[in-house]
Amino acid sequence: MPDAGPSPTRALRLGVAGPVGTGKSSLIGMLCRELGDTLELGVVTNDIYTDEDARMLRAAGVLDPARIRAVETGACPHTAIRDDVSANLLAVEDLEADFAPLDLVLVESGGDNLTATFSPALVDAQVFVLDVAGGGDVVRKGGPGISRADLLVVNKTDLAPHVGVDAGLMARQGREARDGRPVIALSRTDRASVTALTSWVLGLLEEHRTGVHSPVDPGPMAPHSHADGTSHTHGGTGAHEH
Amino acid sequence: MVAHPELAAMVLADGRLPVGGHTQSSGLEPALLGGLAEGDAPALLRTRLRTVVRVEAGTAVVARHHVLAGLPLGDVQAAWAARTPSEVSRAASVAVGRGQRRLALRLWPGSAAGSALEELPAPARPVAVGAMAAAAGLDPAGTARLVAYDDAQTLSAAALKLCPLDPADATIWLLDAAPDLEEAVAAVAHLTEPRAIPAPAAPLLEQWQHHHPTHPRRLFSA
Repeated sequence: MPDAGPSPTRALRLGVAGPVGTGKSSLIGMLCRELGDTLELGVVTNDIYTDEDARMLRAAGVLDPARIRAVETGACPHTAIRDDVSANLLAVEDLEADFAPLDLVLVESGGDNLTATFSPALVDAQVFVLDVAGGGDVVRKGGPGISRADLLVVNKTDLAPHVGVDAGLMARQGREARDGRPVIALSRTDRASVTALTSWVLGLLEEHRTGVHSPVDPGPMAPHSHADGTSHTHGGTGAHEH
Repeated sequence: MVAHPELAAMVLADGRLPVGGHTQSSGLEPALLGGLAEGDAPALLRTRLRTVVRVEAGTAVVARHHVLAGLPLGDVQAAWAARTPSEVSRAASVAVGRGQRRLALRLWPGSAAGSALEELPAPARPVAVGAMAAAAGLDPAGTARLVAYDDAQTLSAAALKLCPLDPADATIWLLDAAPDLEEAVAAVAHLTEPRAIPAPAAPLLEQWQHHHPTHPRRLFSA
């Protein structure tokens, strides 16, 4: 029988989702660089066409290339992390078996739209990555990942002055949209922000090991309102077509 | 878990079954990248029903029989591999076969199918499907039809992503191929021995699939 849920003896599985080009691969590269000496790491990348992200990470030299596995997701990157996680689960389990015991397996989603989130059957926790260059209004537009991922990263804050975006405001709006869940305004040139990210990951790993952490599903769609004044969430009673 | 065999067949044939099948195109994308004209996609579908599908469906029928007879699946897998010369094709099949196996162990733990699959960590897709068919109560013809339908429907659905096409036309291809599909079913439904699995050659299809991983822009892995 495959294991049914997290146990303190297996690696923490952390998903990284977000739109194309927001810096998911770079964030994973950063975590490998920062944590690779102290933790046993594995990485699963998801690409639509190719194993390009895996090759980029291997070429970056931040982790033993054998610990980086590529899953080709066909034309449906969101399916591979949500509706049918089998290819990704097999890749994660293979990595964990080949390099046991691993501490942390990072699963990078293929770049997708704002509604893509990981199934709790695949990851224990997930990071949603936006960047300032995507526009200051993306946080306000919202989505399940933005509202309820375990961590929201507003990436590339060093670019904010060049693209006319207030990175501080974007992070603040993120906090407002997330009911106190953590937000990190990240730049690879801002050491304090990098430390905030690694501290968050290490804290999560500790919670996973002590059994305190339980996976939370951001859900398929954010709660939203209708013209008649009702508001609701999906997945429970009152689900409807859009 | 016991479902009506007809219901079980529908579940196993559904593209939403979580086994990773959405990553493949039944050889259509390799064929188009290899130079097949888009208009020839229905002909490819029928060619597969006369060649590759008979190997796959025959393998599934024999795998089903082996599970029900308490025989190991290794011989069936070896017979399939001997009829699938490209290691690229074999790897693509095993990628989904492992997903099938994973699901089968969840759906039918402790069954004869489960025990047989436990011993085979990397089953080919039709071997795993045959084992699932045994657990689900499908008969031999139903097992062969499941494999043939899945191949044809996968190709038709992939065509919608790869070619400019009216979705209704792709469904018409599928139904138009029904006589060919039933011929494939009839050709393999009686099989019980691995060595009796048909071995038709489709060298061009194999070659297209073999070169597929080298193409830089792909939507599908096979």
